[in-house]
Amino acid sequence: MRAIDAGILICTECHELNRQEEGSDEQVCTRCGALVHPRRPNSLMRTWALLLTSAILYIPANLLPIMTISSLGKGDPSTIMSGVIVLVQHGMFPIAAVVFVASILVPTFKLVGIALLLFSVQRRQPLSARQRIIMYRFIEFIGRWSMLDIFVIAILVAIVNFGRIASVEANLGAVAFASVVILTMLAAVTFDPRLIWDNTESDDDHE
Amino acid sequence: MPDPVDTSKVSELPLDALVACHECDLLMRKPQLGLGEKAQCPRCGYELYAHRHNVVERSLALVIAALLLYIPANFLPIMKLNLLGRSSEDTVWSGVLGLYHTGMSGIAVVVFLCSMGIPLLKLACQLAVLLSIRWDIGRSYGLLLYRIYHHLRDWGMLEVYLMGVLVAIVKLADLAELSLGLGLACFVGLLLTQVLLEVIMSPHQVWQALSGEDEHAGH
Repeated sequence: MRAIDAGILICTECHELNRQEEGSDEQVCTRCGALVHPRRPNSLMRTWALLLTSAILYIPANLLPIMTISSLGKGDPSTIMSGVIVLVQHGMFPIAAVVFVASILVPTFKLVGIALLLFSVQRRQPLSARQRIIMYRFIEFIGRWSMLDIFVIAILVAIVNFGRIASVEANLGAVAFASVVILTMLAAVTFDPRLIWDNTESDDDHE
Repeated sequence: MPDPVDTSKVSELPLDALVACHECDLLMRKPQLGLGEKAQCPRCGYELYAHRHNVVERSLALVIAALLLYIPANFLPIMKLNLLGRSSEDTVWSGVLGLYHTGMSGIAVVVFLCSMGIPLLKLACQLAVLLSIRWDIGRSYGLLLYRIYHHLRDWGMLEVYLMGVLVAIVKLADLAELSLGLGLACFVGLLLTQVLLEVIMSPHQVWQALSGEDEHAGH
């Protein structure tokens, strides 16, 4: 049985149970004072909006250079992908794999994964609740790791600072990329995981 | 594992005999936990709550340790680079400044928040919450601060930053002479303390202590 069916609301912040009050729109948690809702309001619409914005920004994030490495007056702008290729050419495979996963695979997987989650919750298909919850937890866990490239740029800008001999400068692609990461993280936060289980009462309720 | 309740009478049970899963909304009878045990949702596997001993004392010790490490971790050099007889140093803070001075102030703010600002705010919230439980003062502010802490949680990214340091080290290692600094050790220490703190400071017990439901959490 779901808590919502018993007229009980769970606080999203402190997880305290609250009895649903009749006819009140804005009920606050008896313990921590946060607003409690049966389900997060407009969860799907908000998640869609954030997802679409990040999908649009995803294009400049991958096409524009994220940083320029200049040495002896010669500038060499690099995009996310070209950074990975340079690492492979230098034979640094493990670190190339880490960067590839964090900056290319994970953002792509998150965009596709959140879209799939939203589709399957709205259409009640094609994933089982268990697959959806694994996907949700994975997206929630992995999201932060895409900030890796941004931190690498920050470190390189600070340390490779030898004037005309060698220097590193951040470019607009980095702004777009950081926005994609932040927006997809926000999308994962606004998505209410309880929706995953709402259409699946018979699915795997009892194990 | 807790029992899912199916009888229609469940809505008449008192609320403190029940627990609902935060992630899938399954309603269950609340299990009694011994020290060191934890309860998981039988449907989706989410950890409902854990019961640990001396939560407040152990967490306080860790918060203070983390705060002591915070300044050296962020302001001592993480690494030094030598190129053609010139050398430069990198700290977490100089990374933020470097981005700011090259006109990327947006990114500088993001990096500052994720690697310095939010981790410090999280520690400050945790310290205030623990002290409010320990000294039994300002519980309502404690509740508010602990709510803020939960909203900040995902946005402190020390472990990702450490991975960034590793990537930078590998990228620079064969270009120039590189040496690691004391700041890196402090940063790793700060990260480890914070991870341990997340494990030990079990939210369920802190919420209960803050609302005065659990008399024993502070002792």
